[in-house]
Amino acid sequence: MNTNKNEKFTATSQVENGTCTVYLRGELDLSVAPDFRQVMEPLALNEKQDLVINLKDLKYIDSTGIGILLSILKTRHGMEAGFLVKEVPEQIQKLFDMTGIAKFFAAQENSQ
Amino acid sequence: MIDEVQKVVISLPATAEYVDIVRLNLYGVASKMGFSYEEIEDMKVAISEACNNSVLYAYRDSDGMMEVTFEIIGDALSITVIDEGESFDSWGAGERQGLHDKNLNEVQIGGLGFYLMQALMDEVSVENEAGKGTKVVMTRRLMKSEEKV
Repeated sequence: MNTNKNEKFTATSQVENGTCTVYLRGELDLSVAPDFRQVMEPLALNEKQDLVINLKDLKYIDSTGIGILLSILKTRHGMEAGFLVKEVPEQIQKLFDMTGIAKFFAAQENSQ
Repeated sequence: MIDEVQKVVISLPATAEYVDIVRLNLYGVASKMGFSYEEIEDMKVAISEACNNSVLYAYRDSDGMMEVTFEIIGDALSITVIDEGESFDSWGAGERQGLHDKNLNEVQIGGLGFYLMQALMDEVSVENEAGKGTKVVMTRRLMKSEEKV
C-alpha cells in the first residue's frame, strides 16, 4: 500500500533568533517514526541553537513517538543545550503524565 | 438478561502502515457503542501498542498478518490482537513500568508500550508462546450507567 506519509504526519521547522521550532502535525506513530527520527537527528545535534518542539497540531502519538522525544531530550540534556516541548494537547499531556516523562519535560523547562 | 455478543474481525498485514486502519475501525465500533471521545483516544493508543508489538516483533524474516477482533459484550468492548509470529523478545527488554521513579540517566527507551496499554484499559492479558505467536486481549467498559437496560 502506498500511504501518503506527508498527509498523515508532517514536521516543519522554522529558525528564528537562534531557536529552531519544529511544528508537528497529524499522527506520529510507528509508520512515520523512522522518517521523523531522521529529520530530527541533525536538529537535536545542533547545539548552537535552542530546540523547541511544538505539539499544538499533533493529533496522536504512540510509544514510538514518545521514545523519540525522550531520546532527543537525552541528547539535548547531554549537550546541555536548550530543549522545550510546547503547547501539548490535553490528550497527549495525559500520556506524558501517565508514562512519567512529563516531569522530564517540565524540569527542562524550569532550567531555561 | 443474556448479553448478545457482536463481533467484528479484521485481518491485516502486520506492517506499520496498517496500524492506522485498526484505529479507524476501533473508532467506528467504539463510537457506535457510545464511548466518549476521550475513552476512544485512550483505546486508540492501547490497541496501537498491541499492533506495534506484532509489527515489530512477530515476523522478523517474513511477511505476516495480524488479526484484530472487536467483541461487544454487553457494556464492554473486548479487543483481541493476534499474530502468528515468533513473539521472540516481544515488548522490548522488559521495562514495563512508567518512568515516575527514574531520573533521566536511568531511562531506557522502549517498553513504554506495554505500560500504556495496561494503564489505559480496564483489563489486559498477554499470552505469548515462542514460535506460536502472541495474543493480546484487552477490555474497556462503558462508564455511563444510564446506558444499561
